[in-house]
Amino acid sequence: MPQATSRADATHAVVFSPLDGAGRAELVEQRLTDAIVAGVLRDGERLPSESELAKRLGVAVVTAREALVALRDKGLVLTRRGRDGGSFVTHDRDAAVRMLDERVRALSRIELRDLSLHYAAIAGMAAEVAADRASDDDLASLADIDARADLMSAGGARRAIGRFQLEIAAVSQSPRLVHEELRLQAEAGPLLWLCMREQAYRDRSRKTRLDVIQAIRSVDPADARRATTAHIESAVEWLIDEKVRLETPAPLP
Amino acid sequence: MTVTVDVSALQIAARIASTIDPVFTMIDRWRDRIEAELLAVATPSAARLDPRIAQLVGPALEAPGSLITGAGFVAAPGYLADAPWHLAWWLSGANTFGAGEGQGLRRLDAVSDPDAEQFRDYTVLEWWRVPARTGTRHLTGPYVDYLCTDDYTVTITTPVRAAGEMAGVVGTDLYVASLERELLPVVRESGYPCTLVNASGRIVTSTDSHRATGALLRLDGLGEALAPLREREGGAPADATALPGGGALVPCGDTSLALVLENLRD
Repeated sequence: MPQATSRADATHAVVFSPLDGAGRAELVEQRLTDAIVAGVLRDGERLPSESELAKRLGVAVVTAREALVALRDKGLVLTRRGRDGGSFVTHDRDAAVRMLDERVRALSRIELRDLSLHYAAIAGMAAEVAADRASDDDLASLADIDARADLMSAGGARRAIGRFQLEIAAVSQSPRLVHEELRLQAEAGPLLWLCMREQAYRDRSRKTRLDVIQAIRSVDPADARRATTAHIESAVEWLIDEKVRLETPAPLP
Repeated sequence: MTVTVDVSALQIAARIASTIDPVFTMIDRWRDRIEAELLAVATPSAARLDPRIAQLVGPALEAPGSLITGAGFVAAPGYLADAPWHLAWWLSGANTFGAGEGQGLRRLDAVSDPDAEQFRDYTVLEWWRVPARTGTRHLTGPYVDYLCTDDYTVTITTPVRAAGEMAGVVGTDLYVASLERELLPVVRESGYPCTLVNASGRIVTSTDSHRATGALLRLDGLGEALAPLREREGGAPADATALPGGGALVPCGDTSLALVLENLRD
C-alpha cells in the first residue's frame, strides 16, 4: 500500500531486484550503468554496500565487487573509505551522453529493433487491456500524470513517459505486466527514448498520451494499443537513424 | 428502487461481509489503541509510536493462515514531532516484496524525506484521500500495488483522530488471490450466476469463470446502482437494488462490496 513513499520512482526498485539466471558482473554493471545514465540513480546517491548489493541482486559478493570496480573504471562510481564511506554515483551530463552513444553503437540494428518490439508487446498489451479496465478514477490519474509532464527537457519527457506507461500497466490490473513494464523501462527506456532530446519528439509523446487517454475513455482497446506501439516504433526509427549518424565518419575538410 | 431477493442471496452477501468484518473489527481495535496512545502523550513522536504499532500489528501479520499481508499506521504530514512524513508499516513473511526466501515479519523500507527523488506525497493516494475526505473507513482496490506489496491487493484504511484532528490512517493489505480463495466457495453456494464487485464495479471474483478478476463488470444501470455504496461507505448498509437488465445488486453489509446476480429469471 504505501506506494507513496516507499517507491515512488518504482524503476528504482527494479534496479536492485534479482537478476535472472546466473549472476554475472557484466549484467550487474550494465544494469547499474543504465540506471545511472538514465538518472534513476542520481548523482551523489549512495549505492548499497557490496554485500547488500549482492544480496538484493541475487549474485555472489565477488560478482558485485567486480561490477563496482568496472563502474569505478568507467567513472560512474566513486568509492570513499571511512565511517561515512561507501560507493557513490558520480555522473555528469556529458558522461551520460557519451555513454549512451557508445551503447547505441554497440547494439546492432537487429538488437535495437528486437528490444523495441519486446517493449511494444508489453506496453501495447497493457494499453489494450487498460482501455477495457479503466475506471473514472484511473482516467483522472492518467490525465494528471500528463498534466504534470515536463516537456521542456529530455529527462522530464522521458520520466513522464515512464510514469504514464507504468500507470497504464497498473490500470490493466496485471501484476506481471507491471513488473515487465518496470523491468523494460530500466533496460530499454534510456536508449529507446533518446529521441526525447528533440522537441518535436517530446511534443509527439504528449500527443500520444492524449490519444491513448482518449482511446481509453471511449473504451477502444485497439486504438489504445495502436497509439502506444506507433509511438514506440517512431522512437526506434529515430534511434536507428541516430546510430547511422554516429557511425558515419565526419566528412574530411 | 429496491427489490426482493431470494433469502439465500442475502445470506451469501451476509457471509461475505462476515469474512471481511473481522478485518474491519481488527483495524477499529488498532485505531482505538492508537488514539488512546496519542492521547496519553503530550507530543506524539514516531520514536515512541513505532514500537507500539509493531506490537499491535505484528501478531496479526504472523498468525497462521492470516488473510493480511501488510499493516500499520501512516501519519498525517506534520503530525508527529520527529517525523513530518511517516509510515510505520509492516509486511508479513508471506509478502515476498523485496525480500529473499524465508524472511519473516519486516518493516517496509519507506522514503520519508520529501527532498528525496523517490519520495511521493501519500496524501494523494486513494487509501489516504478517501478516508481523509469521508472521515470513515475505505476499501481500496483490487489494484496492482506496484510500489509496496508488488501484487494484486486490496487495502483497507480508516482514519485515526486525536484532539479533533486527523492524526493519520491505520490499515491493512490483503492479497486479492487469498481473498478470492476465501470468498469464491461462498459465492458459489448461492446457486446463481453471481459476481462480487467493489463499489466501482470492478470484479473481485465470480461464479462465471469468464468474468475476470480486475475487469469492470459492464451491466446496464450498474454504475447508478453502486452509487449508494460509494457514498455510504462505513455507514449503514444499502438495500438490494434491481438492475434494468433483470438482475439485482445485493450489498455485502457495510463492506462496500456487492453481489451482482444475473439472470434472476432463470
